[in-house]
Amino acid sequence: MQWLTIFRKECLESTRNFKWMWVPLVFILLCIVDPLTTYYLPQILEATGGLPEGSTFEIPTPPPAQVMMMSVVQMNTIGILILALITMGTIAGEKKAGIAELVLVKPVSYLSYVTAKWAAYSLIILASVFVGLLASWYYVNLLFGELAFSSMLVTFLFYGLWMVFLLGISLFMNTLTKSPGLTLFFTMSATIFLSAVSGMLSHLFEWSPAQLTAHLNTYLASGSLPDVIWGATAITIAAIALLLFLATITLKKKELA
Amino acid sequence: MQDAMTMLQENLAIFAPLIAVQIILSVLALVSLFRTDETNGPKWMWALIILFINTLGPIAYFIFGRRGDV
Repeated sequence: MQWLTIFRKECLESTRNFKWMWVPLVFILLCIVDPLTTYYLPQILEATGGLPEGSTFEIPTPPPAQVMMMSVVQMNTIGILILALITMGTIAGEKKAGIAELVLVKPVSYLSYVTAKWAAYSLIILASVFVGLLASWYYVNLLFGELAFSSMLVTFLFYGLWMVFLLGISLFMNTLTKSPGLTLFFTMSATIFLSAVSGMLSHLFEWSPAQLTAHLNTYLASGSLPDVIWGATAITIAAIALLLFLATITLKKKELA
Repeated sequence: MQDAMTMLQENLAIFAPLIAVQIILSVLALVSLFRTDETNGPKWMWALIILFINTLGPIAYFIFGRRGDV
């Protein structure tokens, strides 16, 4: 299977350049920083000083689910940047270095080239999101009170879907240009644009992939999945398929020009 | 500062994983640095960055340090 060959080559490459280790570790850090600082906020304020003498104010302890949401928000900013950074050269860089020609001159379809890369990176990102949320869940239980493991799993499923969608965007942008820097710029612009528009016009864009995190917030606050999340899920899956298809077409059309 | 230190000691069990992850990250970056032939910029500079810039140093190395990776 040529698809499996490319997929294995990508996984091997990611192991060799340590992506399989450092990306999950960074996601763990991202996810535990917020629960820790939130928990120690009173002590931190006390230790750093700056409060007038005798001033006391109560800092309410957020509910456990809310703290897990903080980890998700953290991943949604720096995590996305890391996602875009590690994938910015995967096709664009190979085109630039001439590796893509070497691969595609063999009987490898453009579709398997794109989808195998997407799958290999999805695996890394999903594993990273999972261990990150697991660490966050551990600290939330330790410091803030009980949060069901199932909430963590549901958060992982929907948040993972959004991340995998972003990988689709990044791979599509990869096929547009030969410059990794430009790919990064396009991916981040598209993500920010999508999030901003869906956030501002949230009543019109309920089914937008970018609203998945907002729906997750509702879920974590109320404990039951809002109905719109299924629409958003369907749209996201369709969008991933479309993005990968478009990526294949642009790659073929540009014929490594 | 005194308070911060005692706080850290009292809650070692909570902070240990955080510190462990940071150490593993730095060690991985150093291992990778010694193994690779060429880096973007001098190797000793990256070694200093990895050792002295907490968390962000190793990440910066992994993303920008290696030649031919990006």
